[in-house]
Formats: sequence, C-alpha cells, structure tokens
Amino acid sequence: MIKAPRRTGLVFFPAFDWAISPTHPEREERLLYTQDQIMEEGILDIDGIEEYRVRPATFEDIRRVHFCIPNEEAVTTKSHLISAGGCMVAADAVLTGEVESAFALVRPPGHHARTVVLGNRGFCNINIEAVMIEYIREKYGINRIAIVDTDCHHGDGTQDIYWHDPDTLFISIHQDGSTLYPGSGFPDEDGGPNARGSTVNIPLPPRTGEKGFLFVLDELVMPILDKFKPELIINSAGQDNHFNDPITNMNFSARGYAALTSRLRPDLAVLEGGYAVENALPYVNLGIILAMAGLDTSFVKEPNYDRDYQEQPETITRYIEDLARDLKDRFLKDHKMPYLKSGQIISRTKEIYYDTDGIQESQNERIRSCHDCAGLLSIESRSSLGLHTMAIRIPIRACDACQKMGSLWHSKALKNSFDYVYLQNRVQNIYEVF
Amino acid sequence: MILGLDVGGTHTDTVLIDNNEILAVNKIPTESNLVQTLKTAINQAISDVDPFQIERLVFSTTMATNAIIQNQLVETGMIISAGPGIDPHLFAVGPAYSLVEGSLDHQGIETWPLNKKDILFAAGQIKNKGIKTIGIVSKFSVHNPIHEIQIKKWVTKEFQHIFLGHSVSGSLNFPRRITTTYLNAALSKMHNEFTAALTKILDEKGCHAPKFILKPDGGTVELSKSNLFPARTAQSGPAASVMGALALDKCKGTTLALDIGGTTTDMAVIVDGVPLRTPFGIRLGNFHTLIRSLMTHSIGLGGDSEIKVNKNGIFKIGPLRKGRPVALGGKVPTPTDAMITLDLLNIGSKTAAIKAMSILGASIDLDAKSTAEHVMLEMGNAIAQSVKSFVNYINSRPVYTIKEVFYEQKIEPERLVIIGGPASQLAKYIGESLNLPYEVPAHAEMANAIGAALARVTTEITLQADTRRGTVIIPEACFSKAIDPAFDMDDAVRLASSTIREQALKFGADPEEIEFSVVEKQNFNMIRNYSRVGQNIRLKLCINPGLLPEWKRNF
Repeated sequence: MIKAPRRTGLVFFPAFDWAISPTHPEREERLLYTQDQIMEEGILDIDGIEEYRVRPATFEDIRRVHFCIPNEEAVTTKSHLISAGGCMVAADAVLTGEVESAFALVRPPGHHARTVVLGNRGFCNINIEAVMIEYIREKYGINRIAIVDTDCHHGDGTQDIYWHDPDTLFISIHQDGSTLYPGSGFPDEDGGPNARGSTVNIPLPPRTGEKGFLFVLDELVMPILDKFKPELIINSAGQDNHFNDPITNMNFSARGYAALTSRLRPDLAVLEGGYAVENALPYVNLGIILAMAGLDTSFVKEPNYDRDYQEQPETITRYIEDLARDLKDRFLKDHKMPYLKSGQIISRTKEIYYDTDGIQESQNERIRSCHDCAGLLSIESRSSLGLHTMAIRIPIRACDACQKMGSLWHSKALKNSFDYVYLQNRVQNIYEVF
Repeated sequence: MILGLDVGGTHTDTVLIDNNEILAVNKIPTESNLVQTLKTAINQAISDVDPFQIERLVFSTTMATNAIIQNQLVETGMIISAGPGIDPHLFAVGPAYSLVEGSLDHQGIETWPLNKKDILFAAGQIKNKGIKTIGIVSKFSVHNPIHEIQIKKWVTKEFQHIFLGHSVSGSLNFPRRITTTYLNAALSKMHNEFTAALTKILDEKGCHAPKFILKPDGGTVELSKSNLFPARTAQSGPAASVMGALALDKCKGTTLALDIGGTTTDMAVIVDGVPLRTPFGIRLGNFHTLIRSLMTHSIGLGGDSEIKVNKNGIFKIGPLRKGRPVALGGKVPTPTDAMITLDLLNIGSKTAAIKAMSILGASIDLDAKSTAEHVMLEMGNAIAQSVKSFVNYINSRPVYTIKEVFYEQKIEPERLVIIGGPASQLAKYIGESLNLPYEVPAHAEMANAIGAALARVTTEITLQADTRRGTVIIPEACFSKAIDPAFDMDDAVRLASSTIREQALKFGADPEEIEFSVVEKQNFNMIRNYSRVGQNIRLKLCINPGLLPEWKRNF
C-alpha cells in the first residue's frame, strides 16, 4: 500500500444536486470526472490520506465575514453553506493535528464574494476561504494568515474582505485584469491605509506557461511569504489557468499546479474556479492532492499535454521578469509609508456589479486610520435593488478607541433612515441588524 | 431440509433446518485440513438423515482466506495498461507484472492505443516463466472494457486461464481492480480443486442438492459459479454471524448485532432487516480488494481474552488471548473465569476460576466475586465504547449531495441483538452500558451456521450510459452496446433490471424471489459550450443480503 509522507485531509463535496442554472459552468457535472479520477486512482486507500464528511456552515459563521443584504437566507443556498462548511472541516482537521494539510475540494467557489453580499458575482455568493479563516481565528486564535490565490481570475472578493487587515497577507496570481473578468488586480492595489503591502497582485499576461507561474512563485511569492511569516498558508486553488480551460487564456498544466503546490506547501487548499471539467480538473486535482501528500506526481499528465501544451513565448518570459523586478521592489524592499495620524477617517467609493444577478451597487467606505488595530470600518451601500444600508465592522482585536467610535457610528446610523443597519462586532461577538 | 456449515478458526458448526425449525446442530473442532474438516462435519451432520431429503447445502469456508494468508497462490501474471495518474509500478503484484502501452481516460475514451507487438512481447515474457494463468486490467476499464477484451483476444492462445478486470466489480478503483483480478486468478486452481473435492464428498453421500458458498456480503453464490470469482468467497465468517442474527431475530428498526466469541467481538448494523455494506471492499491479508462485504467491525475482546489490572484498579481486557480460561486449564484470567465465578456459566473448574479472580483482585483489595463483577462491567463498557465509535464512524462517512447532508437520517441503533458463546452472560452489562434494550435469541451460539444456511443469492450491477459517446456498459455482466442519443434513465432502469435478474439467475437465485434495490441513480447533463451534448447516466442495482423466502419463522 502507498504511504503518504505528509498526512493529508480531503474534503470532497461535488454538490451533485446543485447548479447555478442547467447549462452554467457551475453545474452538477463539474466535479463528476474529478471524482471518477480520484476514485479510480484509489486515492482514498493511500495510507495517510483521510477523507472527511462535510457539515454546513451556520449563518453565524457567515456573519463573521459578510454583511448579507437583506439577510443570509436571501443570498445563500444550502450548497453555499456546505461549501463554506467543508472548508471549516478541512481547517479543523489541520488545526487539531489530525493531518498536516488538507484540501477542500468543494463547490460552489467563493473568491469573488466581497464583504457586502447582495447576490452572486463571478459564480460566488459566500467567500468560503474568508468564512474558514475567520472561523480559524475565532476557534483556534490564530492570527497571521496568508492566502495565495492561484485562480486565473483576480480574487477581488477576498481582496476586498482583507483590504484593511494587516494580519492577512493576500497574494493573487491571475490573468491580467485588462484581459479578463473581473478587470481588477493590478500591482498598485496593495492594501488599505492600515494594511499597506498586505495585498499583493501579480497580473500575468495571457499565454503564461509553467515557467512563468513557477518563476513568480519562486521569485516573488515565496520571499514575500518568508517576510510576512504567516502561521498558516492557504491556497485558493482555482484551476482555470489551465491550457484546456474554456473561459481563460493561460497556459498552465496539471504538472505545473502540482509543482506549485509542492513548493508552496499550503496548510489548506480550497478549490475555486476551473471549468475544463473533462480535460483539466481531473488531472489538476489529482496533482494537487498528490503534491499535498508529498507523493510523486511525475505520472500526472493530461492526455493531450504532448499535443496541445505550449511553452510560453520568450517575450512573455521577459515581460514576467520585468514585472517581477518591479514587484520585488514594491513588496520586498522597505519603503517609507506616508504617515497617517491615528484616528483620521479615510473614505473611498466603489462601484460593484453582480454579473450573475445583474445588480449594480455603489459603496461608500470609511476606515479609521489606526496604529493599534485593523481599524473601524463602515460601508454604506446603495443598490439597484433599491436598498440603502449601513454596515459597521469592529474588527477582531479592535483597540478601545475603534470600539468606542464603532458604538458611536452605530448609534448614529440607527437614527438615520437606512433600510438596514448592520453591526459586526468581532470583539464582543455581536452581530446585529436593524 | 437445508444444511448450513460454517468453518471458524476453532470450531466448525453445522445446522439442519427444515420447515422453519432448527432440527439439529453440531460442533466439531476445525482441523488444519479443510476438506477433512468438511468431510467430518458433513458426515456427523447428516448421519441420521436421508441425503435425498436435503434440498440445499450452504458452506461458509476459510479456503480462500487461508490460501491468501498462507501464500498458497498459484503463480499469476498480470498485463496492465494504465495511463496518467499514480505511477502504476506501485501496484505491482505477483511474479510477472507487465505494463503495456495504451490508455483510456476517465470516460473510457481511448487516449493511447494498444500496441499488439508490445502486448505479445509481454505475454511471451510471462509465458516463458512457465505461468499459465493471467489477469488483464486496464485503468477505467469499467467505463470501457475494450482494451481488456482486445488484449485477451491477442493472448488467448498463450494461457490456460485469463481473468479480466472489469468483470470483478463496477466500482472505480484501479489498484483494487488489479489486486482483486490477481486474487481471483491466483486462487482459481486451488478453488477449483476445493469445489471438486467438496462435490465429490457430497456425491459419495448421495447429496445432489444445489450447493452454495457464502460471501462476505452476506449473500451466496452457487458452488460451481464461484469458480468465476474465487476471491469472493473469502472471509465470509462475520457475514455468517450477521445473517444469523437476522435469521433469529426480526431486526426491525435499527438493530446493532453483536457476535461475542472467544477472541473477538464483531459488530454490524442492520436497518429494517438489511445489513449495511461497505462502500468498497474487504482487505485480505495485505490486499485491498473490490470484494463487497457487510460493514462489520471487529475488536480484540472475547470470552477468553486476557485480563490485566493495574495498581489504580483499572481493568484491561484483551486485545490478546493467551490460551484457555483458567477454569479450563489455562494460565491467565479471562472473562469466562469471571462468568464461572458469578455462576453465570457452569463449565470447567469453578475453584480454579474463583482462585484466578481472587489473585487478580488481590492487588486492589477486592474479593473474587467483586473482581468478577468488575470484569463483567468493564467488558460491557468496553464493548459499548466500541459500539459508539463504530456508529460514529458510520455516520461520518462522506456524502456528496445536499440532500444527504441536510435530510439523511443518521444511524442510531434502537436495540441490540447479541449472539455468540457468552452472549447471554454479557448481554445485561452491554445493554445497560448503552442504555438499549437487548435480545439474546435462542440458538444464538449457532447463529453463524444458521445465517449461512438461510442466506439468499446476492449480486450487484453498475450501469453507465454516455449518450454523447453512444455507449452503455454493465461491467459485471460484461455487457456493452451502442445506444442512440434518446436513451434515458427509464431505458437504463429497464436494461439494468433485466440484467441483474439474469445475473442473479446465473449465480443460482430462485427466479420467483428476485428483489433488487437501487443503490445509486444519477443523471448528469453533459454541457459543452453552454449547450447539452449528452447525458451521463449512472445506475447501481443490487440484491441486498437477505434470507430465503421460505424462512418465515414466528418470532
């Protein structure tokens, strides 16, 4: 019997009875062939690989992350709860020490879901990684966490959720936003005033191949992780950088994903996108599982690899080298940050489109600049649903000043004529809506 | 009249059953020569019976299990085609394991053709070692058996016995398919000899009734048909007990069956008369197989287990057994000695048992009776703990649909049925520890042979249809054919129903009583570029383990 050098947990939830719509890429069939491949390989017989049963997340788990408008019932389905809960099961397996790492192979995905949720964007309603991370913080008291998002699309939802959090490093490697949904994720998006440098975007040009991905991993991602010194590394393991993917233009492969996973050695991996259901997912997922378990991946290869895989052109190699140089300079050297006095309120506005549900939202966000915590946050939202809401977040480990001001903002908001006022008080675990 | 025979590690039990009555039971020690043991057991069991009265004979034997554990397997070659995935060299088994060119993908589509020259070369190398039996397995052959069938055609003249991977099971699991095919092939010679010897014994006795062998899934297969899949007859002992519990008790609702023996206690869950089965297959020695079995759990805790006590007064029973109880001439104290001390059992030397208990309790200032009482409580608690973790294990099995996560009922045993030697003595302690009502049915000590006698034929089939490719396959029946794009779930159910019926008849089922259930039924729309190009239909039917219809005992 094969023995895994690294004990690895697997949470598999293909949601064989759920789809966004019958012909949508996010449909029942998506993980069918992946399941077949995993079963045929006998993965679950490997000594050291443990499969875990999913459990649904609760609304409370979601409230630690999101402001669901008007409420959680309205914007989630049972499948979202199970998908997020599956990640929490994986986290439990790792943090109780039963396994060294775990992979939540669940659907639907979540990395386009932002702090405020009005509906579905980019196939996502609930940010399953963030729900998992805030559960980990609440239950296991772990603070410094890094997310490496290797989905082909910029993880704009995760970026939004952790924009102001200096304890969460968010690194996204994706196809350049000027060529692909959601159109964001450029290097100058590097975090809010209290968390500058904890958001890292690495936009790669179309047709980037194995060489390019592994180059930015070695040259940028690993050194940035070393500098940040996270207690946990989480991989948002989207698989749509694959050369067979129908909705993207990259040139990555199963063996590339396996190599990336071996080098990154994430504690937790969570499936995100990836829609080449027949000729990428079965092989990529297999490669990721074997790599996480420390097993040989040299026989994992798409049947059409030799025919269809193309090395990236030399021009792309040079482009990526230049990009890496710029990003190294930005993130690995110490820069003098502009000084902001604690207590200063900084605001920004955002326009958000929920492509799946056709909702347009305008947000006005206020953050309290703070030297002692992640800072008090409020988000005022108006949407094409006709709702006008105010949401206030007192972050985990908020300082006294931010807590006090949070209560003030909250009572003030209640006097205004908002349709709903939400409070997320992570210090006292109070989640309210009026 | 039905004869049931169960070969156990220490005893071989036989029962004769007629008209819903257990007529005679007999127990002999199991000898090292299996055929001899069977001969003696049959002779004694039917010494007073007219052989023509016997209508059915069922055997639960240890032939295959012993052959595997004692490594008496015939030299078997393997021809394997794999393709991408885990390195197929890691699954090597037997003295001649040959990897050949060719592969199919997860949908059974050929991605690398076979190479006849390469295959003939591999076959030649195997043949040169003097090997006459081979197994042929390709990855994903249950989604398309074409490569296995083609390889067989090319090498058929070279070998005496050829076993194909797709026929062993419809389940996906390439390493287990290799192992199971290997075991079937490697056991075939011995199994043929064994069935011939058994038939000869019975012929000489004038018994010409249909003969069956019990399988680990609690079902039977006709003796002559068992030669197709010899490994399916291994490790049927635990299933015999479960079927026995089912025969002696109605097993209504959710019942936990416990079989307490000398060395081990085995447990299983029966839901509304149907025992739960494992999703994959049994492990035989070091081999993980695709051979279905009942979901049973065994712990090293029985009437003859060794008892130790530490200075804190904590009793530890098992997992080792060190010979017989003190009352029967053994050296270490056992739960059996405790039962004798408490007058729950009247065998051997009571004086010796009491002495053993008082020595055991001396270090913690307990007299013999209190010590024995502690032992019984501890044994009840230990079994109860194992029952809880077994149930917990069953309920933590992964599920893949929203329906199962939110609406599937968890298994919660409502009652216990306890069988085996010390069942009646221990029942109270286990029942109280689990706070569940319990039943110790009459003949509980012979439940295994009764279970074997009354088990019906089981079988299962797996259908997979892919309307884009235009094929439907039922690997267990070696069936495949072309279908048109309109083929749907109704067609699949019709086809699968008639196929499972044929399979059941082939394995010796009574045509009047074939009942099957749907284990899995899934239908996926195959979407490419936002439009439907076909349907992927999956259907698994099985004849659940159950009792012969003529067994209509009044409970």
